[in-house]
Amino acid sequence: MKRKLRDLPPALLMLVPSLGLLTVWVIYPLIKAIDYGHKKCDISSRNCRDVGWDRYFSVFQSTQFQDSLIVSLKFTLMTVPIGLVLGIGLAVLADKHLKGIGIFRTIFSSTVATSVAVASLVWFVLLQPSRGILADMLSDWFPVLKNPGLLNDSGTALPAVALSSIWASLGFTFIIIMAGLQSVPRDLYESAFVDGAGSFRRFTNVTLPMLTPSILFVSVVLTTRALQSYGEIDLLTQGGPQATKATTNIPYLIYGNNSVIHNDIGTKSAAAVLLFLLCLAFAALQFRGFGKRVHYGN
Amino acid sequence: MATDAVRGARKVGRYSLLVFVAVVVLFPIYAVLLQALKSGPDAFDHPRSLLPVDLTLDTIRAAWTEGDLGHLLMNSLFVSSVVTVGVIVTSLLAAYAFAFLNFPLKGATFALFLATMLVPAEVTVVINQRTADSLGWMNSYQGLIVPSLASTFGVFLVRQVFLQIPKELREAASLDGVGHMRFLYEVAAPLSRPTLGALGLFTFLGTWNAYLWPSQVINDDEHRTIQIGLNSLKTPNDISKFNLLTGGLVVAALPIFIMLVVFQRQLVRGLTAGAVKG
Amino acid sequence: MRTTRTHRFAALAAVGLIAAACSGGDDITDSGDKPATSSTTPGDTLAPTTTVALDLLPDCPTDALETATGTVEIEFWHGMGSVLADELQKLADAYNDSQSKVHVTLSGESYEITIDNYLQASQDSRPDLVQMPEYMVQSMVDTESTVPVGKCIDSSGFDTSEFLPTALTAYSTQGVQWAMPFNVSNPVLYYSKKAFIAAGLDPNDPPESLEELRAYSQQLVDSGAAQYGIALDSGFDSGGGWYVEQWFAQAQEYYADGDNGRTNRATQVLYNNQTGVDLLTYVQTMINDGLAISVGDNASGTDDLLKIADESAPAAMAIHTSAALGGALELLKSGVFKQLGADDLGIGRMPGPDGNPGALIGGASLWPVNSGDPVKVAATWDFISYLVSAENQSEWAATTGYVPVRTDALTVEPYKTILDTDSRFSVAYDQLKASPDALTSAGPVVGPLRQIRAVLATAVAKIFGGDDVKTALDEAATQANNLIADYNTSNGG
Repeated sequence: MKRKLRDLPPALLMLVPSLGLLTVWVIYPLIKAIDYGHKKCDISSRNCRDVGWDRYFSVFQSTQFQDSLIVSLKFTLMTVPIGLVLGIGLAVLADKHLKGIGIFRTIFSSTVATSVAVASLVWFVLLQPSRGILADMLSDWFPVLKNPGLLNDSGTALPAVALSSIWASLGFTFIIIMAGLQSVPRDLYESAFVDGAGSFRRFTNVTLPMLTPSILFVSVVLTTRALQSYGEIDLLTQGGPQATKATTNIPYLIYGNNSVIHNDIGTKSAAAVLLFLLCLAFAALQFRGFGKRVHYGN
Repeated sequence: MATDAVRGARKVGRYSLLVFVAVVVLFPIYAVLLQALKSGPDAFDHPRSLLPVDLTLDTIRAAWTEGDLGHLLMNSLFVSSVVTVGVIVTSLLAAYAFAFLNFPLKGATFALFLATMLVPAEVTVVINQRTADSLGWMNSYQGLIVPSLASTFGVFLVRQVFLQIPKELREAASLDGVGHMRFLYEVAAPLSRPTLGALGLFTFLGTWNAYLWPSQVINDDEHRTIQIGLNSLKTPNDISKFNLLTGGLVVAALPIFIMLVVFQRQLVRGLTAGAVKG
Repeated sequence: MRTTRTHRFAALAAVGLIAAACSGGDDITDSGDKPATSSTTPGDTLAPTTTVALDLLPDCPTDALETATGTVEIEFWHGMGSVLADELQKLADAYNDSQSKVHVTLSGESYEITIDNYLQASQDSRPDLVQMPEYMVQSMVDTESTVPVGKCIDSSGFDTSEFLPTALTAYSTQGVQWAMPFNVSNPVLYYSKKAFIAAGLDPNDPPESLEELRAYSQQLVDSGAAQYGIALDSGFDSGGGWYVEQWFAQAQEYYADGDNGRTNRATQVLYNNQTGVDLLTYVQTMINDGLAISVGDNASGTDDLLKIADESAPAAMAIHTSAALGGALELLKSGVFKQLGADDLGIGRMPGPDGNPGALIGGASLWPVNSGDPVKVAATWDFISYLVSAENQSEWAATTGYVPVRTDALTVEPYKTILDTDSRFSVAYDQLKASPDALTSAGPVVGPLRQIRAVLATAVAKIFGGDDVKTALDEAATQANNLIADYNTSNGG
C-alpha cells in the first residue's frame, strides 16, 4: 500500500500525456456523440433540442440504416474471408527456401505501402469505363467494364470496391501470416512427415492450427477495416450507384457528401454510436469464436 | 525420394506460379506507373500497349506543379515525423508507469486504455472537429498532430517489452539512487530499441496514410497532406488534366515504397507485434 | 466468467442485428419528433408571410475602410480547384498588389468541404468571405452569419444596372439580396460535329427541343454515326438533380412551393407533378429505345463527356456544365483523342421542353461574413466589388468558361476577342440572357436542397434503370418533403 502511494506521483506524471490526450480526443467525443444521438440541431449544429433516447431505435430501424448495415455486412463477408485465404495462399507459396524468394516476398508485401487513398485511386484509374486500361483490354469478354463500368453497375460496384480493398490489404495479410508460418517449429513438420502425412494433411493438421493466432489477428484487423471503410467508398463510388445505394455502408451513410443526414449532427452521432456497438459485437464474437481454437503453445 | 527430374519440374512449376502471382499483384501498380510515364495520346492507346516504350516524365512533372506535390509531401513528412517522435515518447512514459510502478486503480486505468482502442475514428471525428475548432486549431499543424500523439497500441507494445525486463534490475538501480526518468532513459528505452523502431515505422506509416481526420481538420493549401491533396487531382474541374492523377499517385506512393524496401524488417516486426504477442 | 458474458452479449447482438435487419423500417429522417406537415396547396402564390425585417440584419458600413489604420487582412474560403483556383489566385494577387488597404488570403477546397467546414466552424473561426454554391442559399440565410450584400450595394451606391437580372435574382429571397453572384455557369449541350456530319445533320444546328433531341438521336443511331444519341448521367450535381431543376425552369414551372421558396419558405417539392413525370418518362423512353446511354452517377464528373470521345461505343451528345468548356477544348487540343479535335466539338443550348430558351444560375456566389468588425466587412466588400468588376469578370470568363455576371464584361478584353473568335463560349451566356426574369427561372431555394438533389438523383437513377416513373418520383418527393419539414422545424421555419 505504501509502495503504491509512493509511486503515485511519478506514475501520474508519466500517464498524464497519454491519458490526457485519450480523454480529450477519444473518451470525451465518444460521450458527447452518445449525447448528441438524442438531439436535433439546426444547420450550424448550435441550437439543439432533446428528441428522446428512443431515437437510437428509430435510427437503427430506418430503411437507410438497415440498407447500409447490409452493405457493411456484405462488404465484410467479401473482403475478410477472401483476403485471408489469398494471404494464406501467398504465404504458403513463398514459405520455401528457393533462390530469389526474397524478391517475391517483397513483391507480395508491396501493397502494404499503399494507403487507402493511393490504392483506391489506382483502381479508380484502372476501372475508368471509357479510357481505363481494364475496359480497354477486357471489355470484349466483360462488357460491364465499359457499359456502364464496374463501379457504375449496381451488381458489380460493391465487389469492385472489395477487390480494391482486398488488393490493398494483401500485403499486410501476407506479412502477418508469413511471420506466423516462420514461427512454426520445423520439427513439427518433420514428425508429421515421419508419420506419413501428405502435404495437404500436414497443412490442415500442423500449419493451420499453429497459424490461428495470426489468423485471428488478421481477421480482427480486416473486419475492423471493412466495417469502418470510408476512404475507398468516397474515392471510388461515393456510395453509388445511387439507384440502389449499392455501396453506401454505415460510415458512408454518416459522412458521405450526398447523405440525407449530412447536416444533421444528431442523427449522424446516433448512427456513429450504433456503428461503434456493431464493431464491439464483431470483435467479441471473433475472440470468442477463435478463442477456444487458438493454439498459443510452442 | 523424388528423382532429380521430378524435383526440377516441381521447381519450374513453383517458380512459374510465383511469377504468375507476382505479375497479378503488381499489375495495378505497373499499369498506373506506365500510364503516368507516357505522354497524353500514348497513355490512352487503343488497343493499349503495355510495353514500356516512349516514356516521358512530362505527366509526373505536370502533376508535381499542378498539385503542388512538393509542398504536400513536406507537410506529410513533417506531420508524420513529429507524430512518430511524440508517440514514442508518450508510449515510453505510460508503458513505464504500467510496467514498473504500482499505483491505485492501475488495472482499471490499463483497461480504460485498452478500451479506447475499440472506439473507431468514425465515431469521434465529428466532435473532434468541434474541439479543434474551439481551440483554434482548424487549418493548423497542431490540429493535424496533437490528436494523434497518444497511441494505445504503442503503450501496449512497449509495456510488453518492459515486462520482460527483470524487476531486480529496476530495484538494484533504485538502491543506487537512479530515478525513474534516468532508468527509463538509460536502461529501459535502449533495451526496447527494436520494438521502438517498429512502433515508429508503424506510426509513421499510419500518420502518412491517414485520410478521414486530415480531410476534416484542414481546409487550406498550406497545411494539406499528400493523401488529401491527391483528391484534388482526381476530379479537377478541368478535364484537360485528366491524366495528372496517375502522376500524382506515383509521387505519393514512391516515398513509402522506398521506405518499405529499406525498413522491411522493422515493418514486419511492427505489424506482427500485435499478432504474436497479442 | 467474464468471457462467457461477452460471448452471450455478442451472440445476442448478432441475433438482434439480423432480426432487426429483417423488419421493415421508416425513413431515417423520420427519426426524432415529427413536425406537422404544412397544408399549403402546391403552386399557390401567396403574399410573403415571413417578411424579413431588413433592419434586423447586420449592416454593411462600406465607408469604415477609410478609418482603418494599416492593411486590413481578410480571409476568403472558396470552392475552386485546379485551374479555376489558379485563376482566382491570380485575380487576388493582382488585387493585393494594386492597393495597400486590404490584403486577402485564399483557402480553397471542394465546395462540399468548404460548406462542411463553414457550417461546423464557430463564428469566430469563420472567414471574412466565403464562396457558396447555388444550392446553399437557404442554408446560408439560416446560419444568420452573413452580411446581406444588398446592404453593401445600398450603402456604397454600387451600380448593378449592368448585371444580368437573373444572376442577381438567383441569390435573393424575400426581397433581400443575400449574396453576390460571382462564377455563373449553366448546362449546355456538348456534341461531336463529326458525328453530326456523318449522320447527315447540320453540325451548326444542334437540337433545341426535346422532340428534336429525340429525332437527332434517332438519325445518329440509324445512320451508324454513333452508337448512342446522347450520354446522360444521374449525378446529383448534374443529370440526377440540377438538370431536372433546369427543365422545370424551361417549362416555366415551380420546382418547390412558396414560389420556389423565394416568396415563402418552401414546404414541399413539386417535381412529382405531370411535368416531372412527362420529362422523366421521355428520358426513360430514350434510354429504352437505345437512343440514350446512362453513364450512371458520373462519380468522376467527366464520364458523360468522355463518352463523346469513346472509340468503340460513342454517344454523339452530352449535357454538361458550361464551366467545363475551357478545359474540354484544351484537352482536345492536346490531341489525346485522335478521332476528335477541338474544332469537332459543338456547343448548343440545353435542349428543353418546347425548345424554350432559358437556364438557371449554377455556380456560386460570394457571402460576406458578419465578423462584427466594420472595417473587415468594408474591406471584404471592397474585394467583392473588385471581383465582379467588368474587367475582372471578362478575365475570369475568358479563362474558365464561366458566364460573366454582367453584360458590359462582353465588351471588355480579353473576353471580347474570345467571343468574336469562338461563338461556343457565348452559348451559356445567351441562354441565360434569354431567360425570363421570373421566379420560375430563379431556381428553388430550399434548406436541404443538397440532400433533396441526392434523393432525386436516386430516383432518376432508378428511372434510368427502368423503374416506374411516377412511383419513383413520388417516393423521392415524400422523402424530400420529410427533409424539408425536419429542416424547417430545426431552423426556425
